[in-house]
Amino acid sequence: MTIISIGRLLRAGNAGFVVGCRVTQLDAPIFGAMVQADLEQDYRIYGLVYDIHIDDDGLVRQLVIAEDVDENVIADNRFNRNVPLEISILAIGYCQNGRLSHLLPPRPPLSLDSIYLCDQEELCKFTNAGHFGYFRHILRAENLPIEELLAAHLQQAQLAHVRYGDPTWIERASQELITLLRDNYPLLMNLLGSLRDVMITA
Amino acid sequence: MNEVDKLKNMNEKPEIGYLVGGGLRENLKVRLVVPSHQVQEGSFIVIESGDWQFYGLVTDLQLGATDPRFADEQSEARLPINLAALLHGQTLYTNLEVLPALMLERGPEVGSPEYAQWRESIDLGLKPEPSPIPVKTIPPHHALARLAEPGDVAEIFGKVEKVGNFIIGYTREQDHPVCINLEKFVQRSAGIFGATGTGKSFLARILLAGLIKFNRASVLVFDMHNEYAYDDTASDTGLRVIGLQSKFPQSIRVVGLGKGAKIRDKMPDFNLEISMSDIQPEDVELLSRELNLKETTPTTLEALVTLYGREKWFSAFKQMRNGAMVVGDDGKKYPAPDSVAAWANNVGVNVMAAEALHSKMGRLFGRAYVVEQPAVDTVSEIVKALDGGQHVVLSFGEHQKDLDYLLVSNLLTRRIREVWERRTNEFRTSREKEPRPLVIVVEEAHKLLNQEIANQTTFSTIAREMRKYYVTLLIIDQRPSQIYDEVMSQLGTRVSGWLGDEDDIGAVLSGLAGRDALRGMLARLQPKEEVLLLGWGVPMPLPIRSRRYEDQFWQELLGKSGEKLIRKSEADLLKEIGY
Repeated sequence: MTIISIGRLLRAGNAGFVVGCRVTQLDAPIFGAMVQADLEQDYRIYGLVYDIHIDDDGLVRQLVIAEDVDENVIADNRFNRNVPLEISILAIGYCQNGRLSHLLPPRPPLSLDSIYLCDQEELCKFTNAGHFGYFRHILRAENLPIEELLAAHLQQAQLAHVRYGDPTWIERASQELITLLRDNYPLLMNLLGSLRDVMITA
Repeated sequence: MNEVDKLKNMNEKPEIGYLVGGGLRENLKVRLVVPSHQVQEGSFIVIESGDWQFYGLVTDLQLGATDPRFADEQSEARLPINLAALLHGQTLYTNLEVLPALMLERGPEVGSPEYAQWRESIDLGLKPEPSPIPVKTIPPHHALARLAEPGDVAEIFGKVEKVGNFIIGYTREQDHPVCINLEKFVQRSAGIFGATGTGKSFLARILLAGLIKFNRASVLVFDMHNEYAYDDTASDTGLRVIGLQSKFPQSIRVVGLGKGAKIRDKMPDFNLEISMSDIQPEDVELLSRELNLKETTPTTLEALVTLYGREKWFSAFKQMRNGAMVVGDDGKKYPAPDSVAAWANNVGVNVMAAEALHSKMGRLFGRAYVVEQPAVDTVSEIVKALDGGQHVVLSFGEHQKDLDYLLVSNLLTRRIREVWERRTNEFRTSREKEPRPLVIVVEEAHKLLNQEIANQTTFSTIAREMRKYYVTLLIIDQRPSQIYDEVMSQLGTRVSGWLGDEDDIGAVLSGLAGRDALRGMLARLQPKEEVLLLGWGVPMPLPIRSRRYEDQFWQELLGKSGEKLIRKSEADLLKEIGY
């Protein structure tokens, strides 16, 4: 198992947290990826990447209006910038004393805690535990692109489940989402549109 | 699949849905979890709820959606098949509307200590043996519903093996035998209804064969079209139709109307002639519509009876000459002494009214079977045969006019009624010989029981009160709406084939609970071989595929061993060969 760090914690709450990282670390996290924060022995928080945000700083503001910016200057700005890239994470559950839960974590991670990408085995373990209870955290987050986030997550989870011998997971997950969203026609249809794209590309 | 698996499979009771709403008044709503084509309107449904089992009838199937937009949009065109199927499974559904009819206490789970306790309290007589009762409560939400098994049908409609239970047909989807209790059937008047060509006569033959075989009641059939006694040819298929007399030669007496009458080229056992002395003024009044009689008729008839008596009036009136005149000494014409006019003048009756009545009654005077003195007292012979446990089919032969049917059937029934009434009264006094129950079968019943004349016929009296006197009617008709409401409401068992007319449907369902739900069911029965069982004589309404009147029926009914009466289930057959 290769542990891939995606950065350290900038700020956090029970419902989610923000990770800061260098541009060099940006290859790893992708939209919809599942991450984990190992806080202490036997306490781990899980989350989904829902936003990767690159903030400007004073120098970038000046450079974007300059003519003929030198490649070395661009590289220097990217790799030695003062402002980190921000990765927003939605908390979706935790594991304590070996027990997985789809409830919100009782305590958030602390500043500068390292955050890692979950590997496929961990992803399968978490998404197979319980009965898709973590979907409610995603569906509650009204200011997020819920359907896109779910589609991205389902696509990645499906790949992991297929690899670990459970190709029907996606059907169970889709069924649960349809059940949860059957009274919300616009959102469900948007989600199904996204899932169609997932299935086409899978 | 091996046989053991097959048997196991048969013992499983797959659910078809679960209860989602409804009530006693508005029917129960069951969310279907199997494809809707597996359940039909009229399906017999069992809903299990703890210690109780509820029995009902599917009266409607309705498509629904959690949001109408899911139904409006053909999402299968937009989404992959599996995703569309998942979506439809969650958002589109079919609800069954189930008319709850009966409930039965099943007790705790068999084998549990609670069951033993429950059973013991019944065996000790502390609790009555559970039997189906009209539904008084409803099962809770999410109670599981399933299609009735043969055991459920037998629990409600009676076991095939039990004496007196007669298979009238089979459930439509699964072919489970459905019985009616003949003992109960003959306790009240019954009716077989259906538009023309729906198989009423065949069903009547089947029921009559069952009654004759059961032999707890005598049957008198007024066979207007000579169909029941001897072998006939079906009007639609051209195939030979076995007559009842062919199969029950010892117990059926065939009576032909009129001297020398032949029925289907065969000599009947008796010939029926009506004595003029038997015809009463009421018999003539009954024919008001047939003979186009006026309001003055009762007055004229009363005058005749006053002068000649109830036995002689008809003969005397027949002998009078209508319009006969003689020339008097003064050269003027006067009514002849034996003329109608002379009699009318003598008794102070309007001459024109009397002459008109005489003229109209000419049709009656001319009936060949109405004679001064019959050679044999056939009516007494009929009563004797019925009393002796035989059955009588009165075939009208060539006399198939409404006039003949109305006159003869009413007159004969009146005579029989008098005998049974007298015997019942004697039995109640002496407790010696209980009268044998009698079922009178009347075709084209609306002619005898319509609103205009129902009160004047013996039939309506029988339908209303003769149950007490051991006589009931089995009426066969295609226009039940024409039958007097009061008679319809008294019918115990009603067996109805397809009916198209709203009024007819309303009439068949009159006085029954849940008639609004059953209304559509009657209109949507298959035009042939499907009938709806209704009324007091059956535990709950149920549409069935009626038994076929063919060789197999006779083999099953008259087979040497009792076992042949039962159509064995696959499970029984497997058990017999050791599984």
